[in-house]
Amino acid sequence: MDSRQHRHEVPLELIAFFGALCLFFSTLEYLIPKPVPFFRLGLANLPILLALSFMPPRQILLLVLLKVIGQGLVGGTLASYVFLFSAAGSFMSALVMLAAHHLGGRAISIVGVSLLGSLASNVVQITLSVTFIFGQSSWIIAPPFLAIGVASGLVVGLFGRRFQERSRWYAAIAGLDAGSIGHPEGPYEA
Amino acid sequence: MRRRRTKPPNRLARIASAEHLFLAGVVTIVAFLFQGDLRVRIAQVFAFALLATLAGKRIRWGYFVVMVSSITAFHLFAPLGRILLEIGPLAITEGALRQGLQKGFAIVGLVFISLFAVQSNLRLPGTVGGLLGRLFFYFERVLDARGSVRAKALVASIDQILFDVYPPGGTPEQAAPSPPRGEQAARTSFGGAALLIVVAGGCVVLAILF
Repeated sequence: MDSRQHRHEVPLELIAFFGALCLFFSTLEYLIPKPVPFFRLGLANLPILLALSFMPPRQILLLVLLKVIGQGLVGGTLASYVFLFSAAGSFMSALVMLAAHHLGGRAISIVGVSLLGSLASNVVQITLSVTFIFGQSSWIIAPPFLAIGVASGLVVGLFGRRFQERSRWYAAIAGLDAGSIGHPEGPYEA
Repeated sequence: MRRRRTKPPNRLARIASAEHLFLAGVVTIVAFLFQGDLRVRIAQVFAFALLATLAGKRIRWGYFVVMVSSITAFHLFAPLGRILLEIGPLAITEGALRQGLQKGFAIVGLVFISLFAVQSNLRLPGTVGGLLGRLFFYFERVLDARGSVRAKALVASIDQILFDVYPPGGTPEQAAPSPPRGEQAARTSFGGAALLIVVAGGCVVLAILF
């Protein structure tokens, strides 16, 4: 299915639900033991990766905003550098994934889109670290962090592809018209 | 058998509203960033850690020790001021050490302030605030169902949860208003107000004095 054809506005209620899934995956990631303190798999980006196929860019950016604020509220990091890093990394990753998805056409698969998004997020976070925290001498940590970005982007992308191929729920959500996927009782209908 | 750790109680939320905690946090952040004395800054960081613990947050000390150490270590590569010690080719200078510690403790202090000042039930205004309410409504439902995720049938079991919580085109469960999250005081008590004034006001006074 080339889901690039479906680009209707979706109900805001569905965006809130995808935001909740981002938080859920972020919670799962917190439970996974990490080899180094700053390592992030980026599982919370999975719902954004899946939403690229059927949400318009404006709504993807709204989803990213909800994700970063939601993570800041749950983790209590809304007023710290963690939020700045998370917001900058998430927005840059989303912008690169949007560009790759729209401009790449069939040449870039969901795995490639995920890989590019993960790398974009890591490059922004390394640049912020060097500029505001660690200083110029910390460029030395860039290669291993980019390698981690490649690995995590691949893992998230491969799982995203598997989910996209096998999930009946996703097929229904991504394939239906905007009007039929809203929650009639919710305050945010299409 | 390992006992499951219970979540520590949020004592701050019992005496102060989320909005007042956030306001006090914003004032504290500004004053903390203007703090020039390293010893005062380190003492403040430990005070903020205590407040974060009172707010029911678990502090991962190992993470923060690595954070301060690594920030300081990277600053030592750029020598500045009087040489304190020479380890092989590396000269540890007073200015670089002070700068690294200042920055390291500033970063960690900001995280601790955020941990006690930002409550998950802080209500933000506007459409985004309303959407966040809906987001947390669904988040709690997905979290409630997480026990049914099976590694052997990962996609199918996740699918089942998604169909239950957000059925496409079907009749969803009643979307009730988001329930209050956590132990939130609707109003700030006298004791809570006094604590917030001491914390935020104290930081402002310390920033002026030192």
